Amino acid sequence: MNEALRQQQLVAALAGDASHSLELRGSDARVARGLEAYRASAASIAERALATCFPTVQAMVGVENFTHLAHEFRAAAPPERGDLGEWGEALSSWLAAHAGLAAWPWLADCARLDLAVHRAERAGDAAFDAASLGLLESTDPAKLHLVLTPGSAVLASTWPIATIHRAHQLEGDAAERAFEAVREAIAAQRGERVLVARRGWRAVVHPLDASTAAWTCDVLAGVDLAEALARAGEGFDFAAWLGFALRESLLTGVVASYD
Amino acid sequence: MSTGAANAAPVGIGLRQPHYAALIETRPALDFVEVHSENFFADGGAALAVLHRVREHYAVSLHGVGLALGSAAGIDPWHLDRLARLVDRIEPARVSDHACFARAPLATGIGAPIVHANDLLPLAFTEAALEIMVGNVEQVQERIGRAMLVENLSSYVSFADDTMTEPEFFARLCKRAGCDMLLDVNNLMVNALNAGVADPLAACRAFIDALPSEAVGEIHLAGYCEADTIVIDDHGSRVRPAVWAAYEHALGRFGPVPTLVEWDTDLPALDVLLAEAAQASAIGARVASR
Repeated sequence: MNEALRQQQLVAALAGDASHSLELRGSDARVARGLEAYRASAASIAERALATCFPTVQAMVGVENFTHLAHEFRAAAPPERGDLGEWGEALSSWLAAHAGLAAWPWLADCARLDLAVHRAERAGDAAFDAASLGLLESTDPAKLHLVLTPGSAVLASTWPIATIHRAHQLEGDAAERAFEAVREAIAAQRGERVLVARRGWRAVVHPLDASTAAWTCDVLAGVDLAEALARAGEGFDFAAWLGFALRESLLTGVVASYD
Repeated sequence: MSTGAANAAPVGIGLRQPHYAALIETRPALDFVEVHSENFFADGGAALAVLHRVREHYAVSLHGVGLALGSAAGIDPWHLDRLARLVDRIEPARVSDHACFARAPLATGIGAPIVHANDLLPLAFTEAALEIMVGNVEQVQERIGRAMLVENLSSYVSFADDTMTEPEFFARLCKRAGCDMLLDVNNLMVNALNAGVADPLAACRAFIDALPSEAVGEIHLAGYCEADTIVIDDHGSRVRPAVWAAYEHALGRFGPVPTLVEWDTDLPALDVLLAEAAQASAIGARVASR
């Protein structure tokens, strides 16, 4: 048998395709138990990988439901890479389209937030360039770009994703109060915007107001400082934001472009 | 840092996340630690920082589970780039992966998307499969600038149209590609048990004896579990007595090759893993003293 065809057929057989023409050694029972061992192993590995990347989603739906969802998702959007830490980008849209999850419309955006946290914690490590801050005094803002820590991302949702995420980080009475706030925010369908950025090794989820979210998106998109400030308007307090960005290790430096 | 006699096999342990802190704090005497390469493919982050810190004190070997060296669909260039970057960063003692496939299209036809089965799927032991392995191993070795090691699998299915034995497949692979074999002794035992042979230990010894004496560059040891009708290579318990016996036979044949004790599921305290490593060292010393 052609090896490419053999391999395609084994992968398809493990995915449930019974129409293969593989010639496997041993009794039907032995072959069946062998194929089942591979299916169980791959399903378990995939579930663990997804749970690592999407802990809030797992906590919301429960471990048993998450196992089923992971199995379904793997069939619908199987991994393409050998590093399962890279798998799961499609989970959010898949959850959004899942008829069985229509009663939890916030789940998809919570998955987006989990993925942003996961990616921020795997992003490159950046050293803080303190000297570059001097450019803010000496250089035309139209030539300057603020550089945020790698992996930083802004997310906006029509659901209270920051409140939900925070509740899942807490324990005991604090968690009870936080989940009460989650129920109220969901009932009011209160949308939230967040910044995900690494502080040290861990990603932190910062709730943002609309203007700061727009500003941060501009900075992340590489808009120069003069234009970003102009777009933010006079009401935007750059000095306050700069203090926040330095405290949170969000700003790694300033670069000048001379063209 | 060494665990035993100068002429005994170097011994290491598989390093997994729950043991990071204990290893760094206690720095037990080990000849090397081995990590799964893919766990350190990220651009940065805590895990990579830990690995750099571990590397300051130990030789590190990089053991992959995702290259899928036997895939007819070829090696994923993204994966190879990440591995090459990690090799540059860590300067490992050894780089290894498995004689398996994982990358394949789910459907036939030109342009069908290739998926990764995220498992170590078995190869047929045929001339065509050998050609694919040789080509892929050569591609990896050229990219990372060094020879690699290729591990034998625990296989839960095998193909009826094999045209050569597994030891012959590995002997020819190593000779043609210039790689070494990473001999997983536990996998030999798991395969023998699942095949239902009358004397599994004798089957393991026969496999070992069928390999060229210079082919093996590392040995893996681990535990397995017995399910209802199948033995699973789960790396979740102590090395079984018969596997220790096969290991001693392997050291007698291949000499003091680096030996790793793996433990990946139901991880015990680090001390338990170190005790397993000490047992490997004791066997190595015994073989060396003969």
